[in-house]
Amino acid sequence: MTTDAKPTQTARSRLEPEAMPRRDFLGLAAWWSAAAALLFGFLGAMRLPKAAVLPSPSKKFKVTLPASVATGQPYVPAGRSVAIYKDGANVYAISTVCTHLGCIVKATDSGFDCPCHGSKFAKDGSVLKGPAPKGLPWVELKHLGGDIFLVDEGKAVAAGTTVIA
Amino acid sequence: MNNVVEKRNAGEESAVGRFVENLKAAPHRFTETMFRSGRPHSDRTRSTFVFGNVFLHLHSVRTHRWSLRWSATWGLGIAAFSCFFVLVATGVLLMFYYKPYPDVAYLSIKDIHFVVPTGRFIRNIHRWSGNMMVVIVLLHMARVFYTAAYRPPREFNWVTGMGLLAVTLGLSFTGYLLPWDQLAYWAITIGANIAQSPREVTDALGMTQWFDVGGLQKLILLGSEEVGEEALIRFYLFHVMILPLALVALIAVHFWRIRKDGGLARPVDADTRLGPPSGEVYPVFTEAPQKTYSLAAIVKGRTAVVGRGPEQTIPSMPHLLFGEAAVFMLTIALSVILAIFLDAPLKEVANPAVPENPAKAPWYFLGLQELVSHSAFMGGIGIPMIVLIGLGLIPYLDRETEGTGIWFGGPGGRPLVVGSAIFGLAAVVAVEAFVIRFGWIRQWWPNTPQLVVTLVNPGTLLTFLYAVYSVWCLRKYDSTRAGALALFTCFVCGFVVLTVIGSYFRGPNWDFYWSPSQWPGH
Amino acid sequence: MKANKHLLLWSSLAALAVLLWAAVDENFLRDWRVIQWGIQARLPSSQADAFTIQLRQIVSREVGATDRCVSCHVGMAPGESGIEGDRLFGRHRDVVHDPASYGCTVCHGGQGRATDTADAHGTVPHWPEPMLPKEYLFAGCGGCHTHLSVPNLTQLEKGRARFEQADCLACHKLDGRGGTLRPGGAGGQEGPDLSRVGAYGFKANWYEHHMEQKKKAASGPWVSAFGELSESERREIDEYLRSRVGAPGLSEAKALFHTLGCRGCHKVRGVGGDDGPDLTAVGNRDPGQLSFAQVQGERTLANWFKQHFRSPAAVVQGSAMPELGLTERQVDQLTFYVLSLRRRNYPEALWPKDRIRAERFGMREFATDGATLYGTFCAACHGAGGEGMRYPGFAAFPAIGNLDFLRLVSDDFLREQIKRGRPGRRMPAWGQQEGGLRDEEISRLVAYVRDLGGAAYEGDPKPRRWVEGDVVAGERLYVKACAACHGDRGEGREGPALNNRVLLDLATDTYLFKTIQNGRTGTSMVAFGAGSTVRGALTDAEISSIVAFLRTWEGKK
Repeated sequence: MTTDAKPTQTARSRLEPEAMPRRDFLGLAAWWSAAAALLFGFLGAMRLPKAAVLPSPSKKFKVTLPASVATGQPYVPAGRSVAIYKDGANVYAISTVCTHLGCIVKATDSGFDCPCHGSKFAKDGSVLKGPAPKGLPWVELKHLGGDIFLVDEGKAVAAGTTVIA
Repeated sequence: MNNVVEKRNAGEESAVGRFVENLKAAPHRFTETMFRSGRPHSDRTRSTFVFGNVFLHLHSVRTHRWSLRWSATWGLGIAAFSCFFVLVATGVLLMFYYKPYPDVAYLSIKDIHFVVPTGRFIRNIHRWSGNMMVVIVLLHMARVFYTAAYRPPREFNWVTGMGLLAVTLGLSFTGYLLPWDQLAYWAITIGANIAQSPREVTDALGMTQWFDVGGLQKLILLGSEEVGEEALIRFYLFHVMILPLALVALIAVHFWRIRKDGGLARPVDADTRLGPPSGEVYPVFTEAPQKTYSLAAIVKGRTAVVGRGPEQTIPSMPHLLFGEAAVFMLTIALSVILAIFLDAPLKEVANPAVPENPAKAPWYFLGLQELVSHSAFMGGIGIPMIVLIGLGLIPYLDRETEGTGIWFGGPGGRPLVVGSAIFGLAAVVAVEAFVIRFGWIRQWWPNTPQLVVTLVNPGTLLTFLYAVYSVWCLRKYDSTRAGALALFTCFVCGFVVLTVIGSYFRGPNWDFYWSPSQWPGH
Repeated sequence: MKANKHLLLWSSLAALAVLLWAAVDENFLRDWRVIQWGIQARLPSSQADAFTIQLRQIVSREVGATDRCVSCHVGMAPGESGIEGDRLFGRHRDVVHDPASYGCTVCHGGQGRATDTADAHGTVPHWPEPMLPKEYLFAGCGGCHTHLSVPNLTQLEKGRARFEQADCLACHKLDGRGGTLRPGGAGGQEGPDLSRVGAYGFKANWYEHHMEQKKKAASGPWVSAFGELSESERREIDEYLRSRVGAPGLSEAKALFHTLGCRGCHKVRGVGGDDGPDLTAVGNRDPGQLSFAQVQGERTLANWFKQHFRSPAAVVQGSAMPELGLTERQVDQLTFYVLSLRRRNYPEALWPKDRIRAERFGMREFATDGATLYGTFCAACHGAGGEGMRYPGFAAFPAIGNLDFLRLVSDDFLREQIKRGRPGRRMPAWGQQEGGLRDEEISRLVAYVRDLGGAAYEGDPKPRRWVEGDVVAGERLYVKACAACHGDRGEGREGPALNNRVLLDLATDTYLFKTIQNGRTGTSMVAFGAGSTVRGALTDAEISSIVAFLRTWEGKK
């Protein structure tokens, strides 16, 4: 029935591109606002995976240095990655986290050896060999009296910094 | 070697020049290869735009004008799908922080609420669109029923829809436990005990020790006797893996069948009802009426309509897409508006020693919980099974053709639906009022055998009343559709009233209260 | 289609607007941000630049705390200074339990994970543990220091009086008081802060040490403020110092609890009676689970307890706890103490000494002298002086300090009585039940009860059973004279139950005979051996008949 109403010509023209596409402001505004809303929502949601707080406990801890620790002997408190040394009255702490890829280095007579990629460090933490980009950091140590020290694993200090017990 | 020289001689560009040219053209070509059809400026390019796109090609290229009317669908199917989309997006985000282990789960929800960037908002969206999805799926089912859209050839899609309803409820229910708060814990305890309720019958028949289907159901659901860490990990698995996959599969079937069943249901005389088409409608298939589909030759049964005169169809791109996009964004808008104003509930951490009183199941099960308060088996399993089986059988029992695609179509029509609604409401209110005022068999004769209580209780009475009424309507109008209309309407009324009573009028110990302010101890 | 375009446009814009608002809310309106901006604005510019606006938290794996309180109370975060001197936004006061390692909620309560003010302070629905109110702050110690040992309240008060009398506060600081040098005392010196001396311990010879110093000094506080103390005075001061564990008021509150006889009915950590609810974790109770129907004022646990102590039955329907007639100060102290009954489950490695002493070595958390034991277990019913209590709505409780009573009972009677209780009555069997008393404690209690009346056992030459009488006549007389108070079948009404198994077993015939004959002075039990205007005297034969009748209940229930 509509065939009669519409000439075939019109129908044919619908298959060819319209010479001057009509400007459909409403439609375009609708599409773009939907796209904007979705994009904005997406961007907002992408903030979610970056945690605002980290669940790691404090890197500060108190440690009692046993009297039996001899000069040059590392003392590694259980569950921590810090080696504490006594040098006469001077006490200092060196991190045992390899600066290359985060393995825990092993204290040896000559210094520290990393079991993962063969980095070797001297007794003062400086790099001797291997892929480690920099030396093991010395970490902050405070003397609280007696044999008790406060170690802050998270805070590096200049190499050679010691405290007097 | 010679070729290179030739090319150079011919004044063509060097390879480096071509490389640069190609590099410049790359973005343009990338778009071109992504959308092969170019800008949709003609009906032809619009068609290729639709069938050349993996996401859009589920649509037919042209859509009937009848289906595009708002009143045909109210966009409920797309709305439900949009909810699912939102739920998947927000759910995946929540999984970054959620930890499915008792107590830790609760703390992780606290973290999501308090410190995860956008976490609170995203959880709210997830919660509210989950609830919206349940409502919308139910409304969608009602729409399909009342427009008699389940009729041939769409019977199977109705059954698929039933499956989608079940999976949707399952998703919502399994998600309910995950926050591991008191609300979750006790709602799931109730839900799990409803699953165990067939034991009521097997107990009454004295056969539980050989055949404990209720206990088995609960055990499979919880992995334990109580709701605990085993239950939590199972619910988590169901919620994030098994059920979403099942839902996706069912959605795919459901959508595909819409295409294969010839689009949305519409009356046979839809063209006349719509009146003459507007200027946007152009004839199709008129240019080459001799065209045939060679594929049709090898396919049995009816073939696609070819060569028939112009139809009242218009290009899906952009007409249908605008409608769908509008519903999609409307759904998103609703869920974000709800999410910004209402925080998702989170009570105290789950404590098996301190029951919530009243402990309520998720709201869509509160109608069931009301029935369960009379008989665990009939309320929790018996009547729901009867309803589900009844619903599933509708398209196979009602084979009439009158009124397809029309709201409340069929013999009786709107007056029948109104009458059934009145009857349905009156019956459920009367039965509930009687029970609340006078009690039931157990209060009168405490020694009544359990089997009698199971079989004769307000829930079964109500079901019986509804069944009788719909048989009466079926005979009165001499039409299966009239019976179906009456029964469906009655059950909808019953569901709504029972849910409302369970939600708002039941307090501690499942006693009746006009308002929570009258609850003791408050 | 136009309608759809409009719908798409407007829903998208609505969604966009909401998302923008959510972004504003997230990035500009969160409580902790607003507070941190406020702090930043108040900091001197050098510090303000280094101050970062970010969430802060203290995580302690050991105590299981993730406390974000320091997101607002920034100065209390490790390594931050906040606003110098500000109570809320400055550094935390120096405390033994450094917040950096223990977090905040361990002591203060509240919701550590929350970052919104009301949620964090826990004053929201569905958070069972709101922050402890400032006035009961030290109740938080009870979370770990579950077994802080306390002396007898009287001694504690005496010790405090002695401590102040001896002017120790001149040089020493205690709970924030004292430690000021005397006027004109140049050259004097400030003594150590004694607020926590009970926890750290002190030298037993402090007095001798002080005396030496005094001898050396020529002038100043050593001469003017320090004087000689007798040995008993020193013991009192020692006792007082041992109770100074850094929780001002808590020891006094706990001592009061052990003076009012609360454990007679309530168990705390396994020790006490069973009549009332176990109070071990009562300070952890969720205010959301309590009925505030009869409680005026704010819906806090402290307020609930206060009103409950004033009138238990008004707050808890049908409560079996009598109205104790407490002063407001006592109500306050008891509230303080019960709020401190807040057990937390920590690994044993974190247990404080007091808990280890109690749970591993069986030491009592209260002094075990007779007076304290009596105050702990008996005083609520039998009265602080053994005068027996008479609470509105309850049957009278026996006056065990009564002279007539004490003269008739041997120490063995008392000891057995305490051990075996009165089955079916409110008197528990302290020697048999779980959480009861130890033998040596019961002996001390017996001695204390004996002292209360000050009367010795007069002895009994007769055998335990010597009465012979007419049971029928005895019953007639019993119904006439005794049944009104003791019940028709001796089940007890206003007076004690006489058909009680333990009573009939422990009581000698002499005890029953003489009690009927002479009565109990000062109680409702009159001397039936003497006549009065309304009633003739009972003869010895008649009394014997009654005793014989009472004996018929023996072996029966």
